Amino acid sequence: MSLLEVRNATKSFGSLVAVRDVSLSVRQGELRAIIGPNGAGKTTFFNLISGFFPPTSGTVTFDGKDVTALSVTKRVQLGMARTFQITEIFPELTVHENVRIGAEVAAGYRLRPWISRTEAEKVERTIEETLALIGLSAKANRLVGELAHGDQRAAEIAMALTLRPKLLLLDEPTAGMGDQETYEITQLIRRLHRDSNFTIVLIEHDMRVVFHLADHITVLDQGKLLAEGTPQEIGANEAVQAAYLGKAA
Amino acid sequence: MSGEQARKLTVLVAIWALLLLAPYWMPPLGGYTALGTRVLVLGLAAMSVNFLLGFTGVLSFGHAAWFGLGAYGCGLMLKFIALSTPLGLIAGTVLGGVMGGLLGALIVRRRGVYFAMVTIAFGQVFYYIAFQWSSLTGGDDGLRPFSRQPLHLGFATVDILSDATAFYYFVLFCFALAVAIMGFILRSPFGRTMLAIRENERRARFLGIPVERHIWIAFTLSCFFMAYAGSLYALVNNFADPRGLHYSQSGDFVIMAVMGGMRSFWGPLLGAAVFVVLQDYLSSVTINWMSFVGLLFVLVVLFFPRGLLGVIRRKSEA
Amino acid sequence: MTQLLLFNVTNGLIIGAFYVLMALGLSLILNLSNVINFAHGGFLVIGGYIAYTITPYVGFWGALLIAPPLTAVIGLAVERVLIRPLYGRDPLYSLLLTFGLAFIIEDGTRFIWGAQGKPVTIPAFLAQPLSYEFFFITGYRLFMVAVVLFTVALLFLLLRYTRLGIRIRAGTLDLETVSALGVNVRALRSLNFAVGIYLAGLSGVLAAGQLGLEPTMGAGVLMPSFIAIIVGGVGSLTGTLLGGLLIGVASGLAAVFLPAASEAIMYVLMAVVLLIRPRGLLGEEGMMT
Repeated sequence: MSLLEVRNATKSFGSLVAVRDVSLSVRQGELRAIIGPNGAGKTTFFNLISGFFPPTSGTVTFDGKDVTALSVTKRVQLGMARTFQITEIFPELTVHENVRIGAEVAAGYRLRPWISRTEAEKVERTIEETLALIGLSAKANRLVGELAHGDQRAAEIAMALTLRPKLLLLDEPTAGMGDQETYEITQLIRRLHRDSNFTIVLIEHDMRVVFHLADHITVLDQGKLLAEGTPQEIGANEAVQAAYLGKAA
Repeated sequence: MSGEQARKLTVLVAIWALLLLAPYWMPPLGGYTALGTRVLVLGLAAMSVNFLLGFTGVLSFGHAAWFGLGAYGCGLMLKFIALSTPLGLIAGTVLGGVMGGLLGALIVRRRGVYFAMVTIAFGQVFYYIAFQWSSLTGGDDGLRPFSRQPLHLGFATVDILSDATAFYYFVLFCFALAVAIMGFILRSPFGRTMLAIRENERRARFLGIPVERHIWIAFTLSCFFMAYAGSLYALVNNFADPRGLHYSQSGDFVIMAVMGGMRSFWGPLLGAAVFVVLQDYLSSVTINWMSFVGLLFVLVVLFFPRGLLGVIRRKSEA
Repeated sequence: MTQLLLFNVTNGLIIGAFYVLMALGLSLILNLSNVINFAHGGFLVIGGYIAYTITPYVGFWGALLIAPPLTAVIGLAVERVLIRPLYGRDPLYSLLLTFGLAFIIEDGTRFIWGAQGKPVTIPAFLAQPLSYEFFFITGYRLFMVAVVLFTVALLFLLLRYTRLGIRIRAGTLDLETVSALGVNVRALRSLNFAVGIYLAGLSGVLAAGQLGLEPTMGAGVLMPSFIAIIVGGVGSLTGTLLGGLLIGVASGLAAVFLPAASEAIMYVLMAVVLLIRPRGLLGEEGMMT
């Protein structure tokens, strides 16, 4: 059974149709990449999945539930976490504090005026495990706002991971990064997918990253679904090449 | 890390020592105990504003309304219903806090400047009610006569009415109580969600925090603290005045918080101390003190946007 | 009764027209620069006192033409020196700065011109009632409404058809894109600020002729202007126009039936609008969060 099922999603802003009749099905444990030229509607499509705004028409089903009308908060509570193209973090707090907020919310403590010692220790364990997984343990007490771009991105992913999401949505995780940082983030995503079995959907521009990571690739162009398939199939697809070359020309 | 904690502990001890000994060190410096009492109460109000502004990142510019409602609630209780200082405090705190919570539910979806405008305008509603409903509130002349009552503790009676020092310690006790609760909340998981919202609302939402509900809770808590401070203010003056609800009063509280340092817990208290002493001094030497207060606003914004504590902290880090 | 009603509705419309002028200026600045100009009432006072000072030399008509642009120049200077450094920072700071500025202006006018009210003489033929029966409709009041109508029409035409106006409107919607298109955003904000202050100055001259001048009058019109914007919907100038007229008439009508509530009615109106339609009458969805 698929974990995420988008059926015939359309989103228009006034007369502009940003996403037109796109369907998508992501299996449990899959790593799906969404690619497409600039303005293809990738981020808009992501926003539809994560509940940033509702689709004009179409449905989103997540983990067997119709979530089309649910708010962001509800979807997160159901197990959907995402990161953004422009890193969204708590800049004036430390890495540890950033991750701690996620861990406490995930543990259901967000309205608590206090937590017991055992509960605090449980939270602390989650934080340590997450930081170790993401490779930020050494920088736990640094302010996130002062870290390098790649580490900030890793911290954002760490926050998403504390939610123990069933589905991880990553919007251009390597955007604005140099080769070394791109490599490290790619390795991180690979570990999350292979070793920790996270289901991941990501938008990505860097084709090396996409072909290195993805099980399946979905190609959008001008708001429409252009192609879908394994990396080999997409690499050989003429319509996809035309779309990219057409843009480049 | 332990050095940091030691530093914090030292600062904390120093602050409480200063506050506890104020009746002894203030008069030799040319102050008087009642001035200290005013600083405590207005400082508590500024800290309550900052609970929302500095720690949740929500700009309410109408918080004087809750302060003033607290004062009226306390005064009305003492004047018409029961001659009891504690009951007065409770009445004021509940009145202002509940009204604030109700209004908060109406406006909590607004953000930024729009939120500020709506809070200013609604704050003025209560100003007009206090101003117009003279039969109850005394209108422009203010609510009087009423006065705080001696405290009966069972084993002893404390005369906080005529003994300025005793009253100072009573207010300090009330202040400590509120500040302890405030500090406690800010260190809780809920308090950390407030910081999350201040730092990045979008990220907070995508961590599964229902942002509006949390802002509403923070707003309401801050209204209760504010109303509590207002009740104390009525006890300080034995008087409640519509000007205590006016938006210009809100502006004073916000500038105290900003001047002291929005990012710090104690900053607003420092800001209040500077503001109260300055205003006390200016109004005694010039009739144009309004210009000077205005100038203070301008100078703080242009040159000390991080507040006095922000400047000190930055210096000590450099 | 009919006459009383008519009197108060007329009054309300005239007051509403004032609110509209003030609120439109505030709105322009708020929309493009995200600045709540607390000193807007102060600029009204400055406009009024400039008119008072120059009327003996240039006459009422001269003052009407000269005082508003002079006020705008002062506004421009204030924007350049004090407000410009605050763009891009938390709107809290510009709010506090203009808040302090309002104090300084009020106290300053009191220092220069005294706390007593000052009358501004208007041409004799404008001071006459137009008819015996409707004694309250003086030529001046009609004239005021005409000036406001003319100015508002001009403003809307400017925004719709001139390059400056189109840029201001575009900047209100999406400043980043406008900036990316090579528009000088700093200059745009300055000009826009000056237009807003011009309107405040004009209100000051008109108010001076009707009500006389007092240093505190600025603070009095500030709150109704805020409410006009909130009722009309933040982000919509047409909404502001509607909001101003609405609260003017509402307070005029309240004056007939429940005089004590003539001020409170604005707040009731605001609460009702926010309950039923949280973004205001013509507010944009995107503007509210």
